[in-house]
Amino acid sequence: MSSFRIGAALLLLLVLMALFAPVIAPGDPLAISGQAMLRPFESEAHLLGTDRLGRDVFAGLVHGTRTTLLVAFFSAAAALIIGSIVGTISGFLGGVTDIVLMRITEAFQTVPGFLLALATISVTGPSVPTLVLAISLGNWTQAARVTRAEVLSLRERDFVAAARTLGMRPFEIAFREILPNAFGPTASLAAISVATAILIEAALSFLGFGDPNRVTWGSMIAEGRTVLRAAPYLSIVPGIALVVTVLSVHLIGRGLSRTERLQP
Amino acid sequence: MSRILLNRRNFLQISASAGALMLTPQLAFAQDAPVRGGRLVVAGDSEPANLNPAIVASNGVFFVASKVIEPLAEQSYEGKDGLSPRLATSWEGSADGLSVTFKLREGVTWHDGKPFTSADVAFSALEVWKKLQNLGRVVFKNLAAVDTPDEHTAIFRFSEPTPFQLIRNALPVVTSVIPRHVYEGTDIAKNPANQKLVGTGPFKFGEYKPGEYFLLKRNDAYWEKNEPLLDEIVYQFLPDRAAAGNALEAEEIQLAAFSAVPLADLGRISKSSGLKVYANGYEGLTYQLIVEINHRRKELADVKVRQAIAHAIDHDFVVKTIFLGFAKSSTGPVPAYDQTFYEPGTATYAFDPAKAEALLDEAGYKRGSDGNRFKLKLLPAPFFNETKQFGDYLRQALGKIGIDAVVVSNDTPAHLKAVYTDHDFDITVATPVYRSDPAISTTILFESGLPSGVPFSNQYGYANTEIDKLIKSAASELDGAKRAGLYKELQKKVADDLPLINVAEFSFITVARDTVRNVSDNPRWAVSNWSNVWLAK
Repeated sequence: MSSFRIGAALLLLLVLMALFAPVIAPGDPLAISGQAMLRPFESEAHLLGTDRLGRDVFAGLVHGTRTTLLVAFFSAAAALIIGSIVGTISGFLGGVTDIVLMRITEAFQTVPGFLLALATISVTGPSVPTLVLAISLGNWTQAARVTRAEVLSLRERDFVAAARTLGMRPFEIAFREILPNAFGPTASLAAISVATAILIEAALSFLGFGDPNRVTWGSMIAEGRTVLRAAPYLSIVPGIALVVTVLSVHLIGRGLSRTERLQP
Repeated sequence: MSRILLNRRNFLQISASAGALMLTPQLAFAQDAPVRGGRLVVAGDSEPANLNPAIVASNGVFFVASKVIEPLAEQSYEGKDGLSPRLATSWEGSADGLSVTFKLREGVTWHDGKPFTSADVAFSALEVWKKLQNLGRVVFKNLAAVDTPDEHTAIFRFSEPTPFQLIRNALPVVTSVIPRHVYEGTDIAKNPANQKLVGTGPFKFGEYKPGEYFLLKRNDAYWEKNEPLLDEIVYQFLPDRAAAGNALEAEEIQLAAFSAVPLADLGRISKSSGLKVYANGYEGLTYQLIVEINHRRKELADVKVRQAIAHAIDHDFVVKTIFLGFAKSSTGPVPAYDQTFYEPGTATYAFDPAKAEALLDEAGYKRGSDGNRFKLKLLPAPFFNETKQFGDYLRQALGKIGIDAVVVSNDTPAHLKAVYTDHDFDITVATPVYRSDPAISTTILFESGLPSGVPFSNQYGYANTEIDKLIKSAASELDGAKRAGLYKELQKKVADDLPLINVAEFSFITVARDTVRNVSDNPRWAVSNWSNVWLAK
């Protein structure tokens, strides 16, 4: 449980940072606020230094948390919701529906999630909603398969038979009786989904497919990369933030998967 | 890869012995006589699908192809009219502007052994430059015929008077001669020789391995005796483009042109021993950082708004912070170094946000309750790091005067389509090239009535009859001084009306090991033939 607590504490810190970003670092994080290329701790006004244009790295870091967490949580949530609905329908109805839905799932699984996101973004253009869509497109398949497996075993249980004899309609049974019971194992996937989403979002912004009007850690690393030898801190600082975030989510996921209720 | 990369142990031995030589002054002095032989390894730039410079006159193509295929004349720092002869030995325009006579070099052979004659020039001019080449289509628009009275004379005949000044200035860029016997009767645009080049230049095309390298080999039958000095040139593609600086320091490559080494690294690089930084050798290909404006937007159609935008841009910040000093602030569409055409007395727009705000208020665009006057869609061209950085800067600068600019980033094909075909932009950051004469690729930015889809041209919905008239009369003005006068007037008009905003002029930096000699010795050095480049041992 201790890894869960460490992870949760870290994540809470990040969420607070995201919520209070305008208080911690007021103003537009993209504003040119000082001399360019100040090193960390060189100036009191710019604790973590400034980038090539004189934008404050600390402000970028704090506001970047918002974009990262926003995109990561929404796309993970979207992936879980789509996945569990598809999985439930597929597992509960069986037959042709099951075959069709599972072939579609497999079709999505054969394409790497990152490529799918890249292709989607290059068609739709980058913005927060399209990023969420693009990332969840490649991320829902796992949840669908896990839910389906769980539903397949649950639908033969006595309480489902009982619900049938009570005269509940099939969809009511599927979504009110079976899905809540099948959701546990799927939820423990959430941590992996969030971590994947964070990394895909960072990679997309790194390649220049992020929203250019927002600060993201990925774009900060990408911009720092061109001056990697002259100012390594520009890439290292957001890189560390990325590691800490993914680590915290992973720690939570590990903690969750050990609790009995969520064992698949 | 390892076959062509220099073996590090050998290299250490060579540099160790070079170090020993330095200790004995006489021997070190003797080094400065050109030495033949050796392989020059260069950081590769792009891998164009069509490498034929007669069709695609662009710097990415010239960088490799100019060593294999030669123009009639090349730019030079000392030569008359800034030119030095290549395949032509002399050129002369007639007084009526209807013909230009070229005397061609004798004793030149193609890489496949066939002789080079005036028939090759006539074929290249009529079938390739005029019909297929991006720039030649403009310059040779009125070329009607090419007479070849003998094997070494070519007379270009024009249907309309064409300024000789323009033809002369365009020679280095638009006149790459390709062999008639290879291309005639084939689909020129799809000929395999567009990839496996056949030319007359100092180097023959050796090998192309996609993603790895281009290899050029010495042409033993080159017309200039005792040249070329190098045995081979290798364009090595680095897996990470930003790694050129490291590759130079590790002696994996000996030269990186076109600012392959990031500007921010130059300070450190220039201090490391054995490397030299060259800021010259690109005068003939000056890039201009400009803000393109879509005049279809009603706010931007107002000259006051355009002037306000010009006043919001701090040229000093752009030059010092974005280009780290490797650029110059510009006043108009002709760069200051061009003494023939540059007009210094134009209206200028000093950095003055307060004045910018006053102009916007005057134009009737007051700040709204959210502090913004109006929104603009800003499309920075993805060509250079600096264009993207300037895009980020411009968004901030406009925000300060109450214009909310939203950055839209695209890859190159999508950017070109959005701006030059679909006109789906409000303002952009672009980098047109000034090529020694305003008529080659500069007036096209102002002239109206062009079909949509032509990249780097007036797709801005801008039409000004006075400017159109000036461009038209300069196109047929035969007197050099009068023609320059017309372009000077054009610069004044453009500065007053601001169809687009010129911000800075920049060119590139070459970094080379100090053993590479004769670097940057002409104004188009990176895209010239390198026949006199040699490697000190």
